[in-house]
Amino acid sequence: MAVPAKSQAHSLVVVDYDHCSYCGACVAVCPPDCITLHDATLLIDTDSCTLCRRCLPACPTGALTLQEAKA
Amino acid sequence: MIRAAYDIVVIGAGPAGSIAARTCAQAGLRVLLAEKRQEIGSPVRCGEAVGRETVEKFIPADSKWIAAEIDTFSVSNPQGDTVVMPPLEHTLILERKIFDRELAFSAAQAGAEVIVKARATGLITNERGVAGVKLVVQGQPHEVRASIVIGADGTEAQSTRWAGLKSIPQLRDYYTAAQYLLTDVEVDPRICQYHIGWSLAPGGYAWVFPKGNQKANLGLVMWVDPHERRSAIDYLNDFVAQRFPSRSILAQIVGGIPVTNVLPEMVTGGYLAIGDAAHQSDPLTAGGITNGMHGGLFAAQTAIAALQAGDVSRKFLHRYEAQWEAEFGKLYRRLHRIRHAVLKVPEEKMSRMIHDAAQLDSRHMSLKDLFFIALKAHPQLLLEAGPYFLGQ
Repeated sequence: MAVPAKSQAHSLVVVDYDHCSYCGACVAVCPPDCITLHDATLLIDTDSCTLCRRCLPACPTGALTLQEAKA
Repeated sequence: MIRAAYDIVVIGAGPAGSIAARTCAQAGLRVLLAEKRQEIGSPVRCGEAVGRETVEKFIPADSKWIAAEIDTFSVSNPQGDTVVMPPLEHTLILERKIFDRELAFSAAQAGAEVIVKARATGLITNERGVAGVKLVVQGQPHEVRASIVIGADGTEAQSTRWAGLKSIPQLRDYYTAAQYLLTDVEVDPRICQYHIGWSLAPGGYAWVFPKGNQKANLGLVMWVDPHERRSAIDYLNDFVAQRFPSRSILAQIVGGIPVTNVLPEMVTGGYLAIGDAAHQSDPLTAGGITNGMHGGLFAAQTAIAALQAGDVSRKFLHRYEAQWEAEFGKLYRRLHRIRHAVLKVPEEKMSRMIHDAAQLDSRHMSLKDLFFIALKAHPQLLLEAGPYFLGQ
């Protein structure tokens, strides 16, 4: 289950909740602090996300992917 | 249930937070220890090996939370060559869930108020700095004033950001980690195994720690590489499939660990950061349990002195940073440099070093002897690692 946080007109970092373990590894490496972790919820604020992609390889379960904008 | 004001509020009831809360409560301060999760110690965090003497500075060893006692370390390369040696210190494998809870219990026994399901959503500030915490406790917002706030909110810490101290680790200075608790595995109950090889765990290492009753904790840390296509759990699955194909998995634990050396600034007015929030895990191995407990102790000692002196300014709280520096500063800078030196060693060379050392009867050899063997294969290691292994 991959849930895009906003529309697909823009590139987005997408969380795959089947893989996410809510560990917070991504939170620590996010420069604009746009990832929020509460219990079993991980939210990415797509307005402040700069698409820097640092969180992608930091995720131990590969739950984060960049969904490229559809042309 | 929660008061409007405390002397000290500690955010996060991991080992570092509990030690800080306990130490402050023992000094007679009014302390609140707030944990965001619904259960202290759960879900567990990676890593469960600690030095016995070191941990006993904080809590007497208790069979309740000791899963195994270790008298041998082994280091293997992917070909299976293995060097065995005595550990630097008698080592315990923890049952983290019970251990963390016992530490929080000891804080409560000392007089700290402990609450769970209490999430910090921000700091209260005034002209002298941090003056309290905004908490949501079981859904109810509370503004809790405090003379000093101690941030022990882990790798995903937000309090350090709110306090203006956060620094974002370089990706090369951050480990991504995965671990399974396996059952139906045959492992020597007294040996901690370490496996080194970039094909196994790029830029990191894998481990097998016995946990008694045919259980073992298998995990790995690896560096964060933007070009890497596979995650820590993918590498771990390979490792498990190779070594223990017929096992059951009882638990999966994942996380991220900064291996940066500590934050350049760990305090501001009315606020101190400790444990993973302050990046206090070991910059080589990423071990952080007793390191964070030391951070908690030092921070609490400074907080107690600050309240006695009636001065919670950044300048006064700097004592804590100075104490950390005196105790761990030089060592941490060295470990950080060693890690960067080791990362440059190609896998074949690393494997050959382990192969060469494995030919020797190392059971009674010191780390120093083994280091000299490694040196022959890779002389440039001397510059960085020499003083550490030679016990300087």
